[in-house]
Amino acid sequence: MRPIAPQTLLFLEIAIFSAAVFLHLTKKNSSAVRLYVAQSAAVSFLLMVPAFAEPSALLLTALVATVAVKLLVAPYFFFGLIRRHRLRFSVSTYLNTPVTVLIIAALAAFTQTEAFRPLTQLAAGGDRSLLLSVATIMISLFLIINRKGALSQMLGILSLENGIVSFALFAGLEQSPGLQLGITFNILIWIIIATVFISMIYRQFGSLDVTAMKRLTE
Amino acid sequence: MALLVLTLTPLIAALASLAMRAVRPLEVLAVLAALLECGAAAVAAVTVSAAGRYGSGALALDSLGMVVLTTVVLVGTAASLYSVGYLRQEVAKGIIGFRRVKQYYVLLHLFLMAMLYGVCTVNPIMMWIAVEATTLSTAFLISFYNKPTAMEAAWKYLIINSIGLLLGFFGTLLFFAAGSPGAQSAFVTWEALGGGAGAFNATLVKIAFLFILIGYGTKTGLVPMHTWLPDAHSKAPSPISALLSGALLNCALLAILKFKVIADAALGPAFAQNLLIFFGLVSIAIPAFIIVIQKNYKRLFAYSSVEHMGIITLGFGFGGLGSFAALLHMIYHSLAKSVLFFSAGNCLLKYGSTKIDRVGGALDALPVTGKVLLVGFLAITGVPPFGLFLTEVYILTAGIAAHPLVVVVALFLLALIFVGFLRFIAAMVFGAAPEPPVRGEMNPLTIVPPVALLALLLTIGIYLPPPLEAWITAAAEILR
Repeated sequence: MRPIAPQTLLFLEIAIFSAAVFLHLTKKNSSAVRLYVAQSAAVSFLLMVPAFAEPSALLLTALVATVAVKLLVAPYFFFGLIRRHRLRFSVSTYLNTPVTVLIIAALAAFTQTEAFRPLTQLAAGGDRSLLLSVATIMISLFLIINRKGALSQMLGILSLENGIVSFALFAGLEQSPGLQLGITFNILIWIIIATVFISMIYRQFGSLDVTAMKRLTE
Repeated sequence: MALLVLTLTPLIAALASLAMRAVRPLEVLAVLAALLECGAAAVAAVTVSAAGRYGSGALALDSLGMVVLTTVVLVGTAASLYSVGYLRQEVAKGIIGFRRVKQYYVLLHLFLMAMLYGVCTVNPIMMWIAVEATTLSTAFLISFYNKPTAMEAAWKYLIINSIGLLLGFFGTLLFFAAGSPGAQSAFVTWEALGGGAGAFNATLVKIAFLFILIGYGTKTGLVPMHTWLPDAHSKAPSPISALLSGALLNCALLAILKFKVIADAALGPAFAQNLLIFFGLVSIAIPAFIIVIQKNYKRLFAYSSVEHMGIITLGFGFGGLGSFAALLHMIYHSLAKSVLFFSAGNCLLKYGSTKIDRVGGALDALPVTGKVLLVGFLAITGVPPFGLFLTEVYILTAGIAAHPLVVVVALFLLALIFVGFLRFIAAMVFGAAPEPPVRGEMNPLTIVPPVALLALLLTIGIYLPPPLEAWITAAAEILR
């Protein structure tokens, strides 16, 4: 199979990074889930590169499992949650939009500084893509911290995971298919458990706003 | 074979528990599984004592793993036994029903399986998966009572640990990258990764170890990533609190130690040691000031766990004798903290509250538990002749020459913790309860496990059996 052009890879990484940025800006839960699906689609495409370069039954199984979990199972659970509890709009952020955008810009700029230079040694000619993955990781962490909604926090964690997976792929660190299956299975269980928890939180607190959880103060 | 039995037994027990239709078979299964795990661990222990290593293929144990495995199996067995008595009381009081009991045992087995597998696996990614699996299996145990506070604690636990472990995963990948940039990591073992450490990219190893320390340090309860721990430990059922504190924290610390060995080989010991000393000291300092103002005895014990993880981390930071003492401290702490959490469970069953000011005269109301609580307090605060006294002295001695200021600060903090602890335990044991309960213990099964662990703690504090000393010496050698 012909190797994928570096421009295509850069485009995919920009898509992953942009999805993380727009996850900060969107106010609708359904849009946030769609952004996560788009980000996961880009990550899945990146995963296809090694799977089709050296095809094997186990590698393809791992790829299919990843695609199924990220593109089918996760949105199925999330949209189910949104429908069941009528969670149209996500609860607010701790910081307002202009400050949030400024911090995102600062984080993205920070990843281009000398501090992250050692990481570029890992990428074979794809420095910018690799540092964009690091920026995605940092912006996803900021999303988890800045959002008050439990669903947004959950999407932040999954976006963080996408950032790490894309980093690993750009650093040429594909895991063996068996390990990939293990990681995917772990994510699947995590999604199921976190979804159940979100339902339980909604029943207990009548909202997904985590600031309502203030009883453990002693 | 023994490691396969060790890791498969809890899985089979979990699946079998799903099919059970009565409480009694669930209890019998839990005890039998725990005993079988003990047997398998004993077989592994004998070989590790003789050959320094046991197992091949995907599961193997060295002396370092054996030390942690010992804590998991000991606390796991005691917690399984204690759970029988504890849950019987909760069922009798109408707090939970059969469905909850069944859910509890299934999750308990899965939790044990994840820890045992994490300790025995030879692959860093599989270890990460196992540690993540402990988060997933325990989240529902923390929210077990379905109260808003329990839900809050469980959500916090799930989110904070998931973030931490993802950062740990990132650190693991960076370690792979530092070793072979651009190469496929495939099924890399700890041994293979460590074997090539001398040629690793030093800057990348530094970044990687930092992520490992923050990632797995979250699960270990190191400050400032500890915030989930007091909530989770205080809201979980008491046997689970004992397992979280006495076994799980050690499993996460094992991951840090395994990466420390690789980082030391790549960078020399100073980098990892300085970080461990910093996180260790901060992890003693913050709980010391919070312990003094505690109102809830389960949170008090939870903060004490953070503090002890700090002492252990400090010991590994000092290295040499400090590493030996830290490993021994890990075992002593697991036993002592389990004793305290089991006693806390008995107090909760008797007084119906975890507030310190609602519990008084425990010595009179709970004749055995009261004494166990008092002795457990003496053990955990490092009063002689308990082993924790000696290990704390060894750890501080190991650091006195190179880091005298750290040692002096740590000593002051330990004294502060003793005073804070003493105030609360004295009130609970000797003070008067606002509403004195009926005198007497509730169930022999809630007494036997803490008494047995306390006896073991006292025994190995005075006389360290040669095989245990051999594992710890060998494990300290690995960390040297």
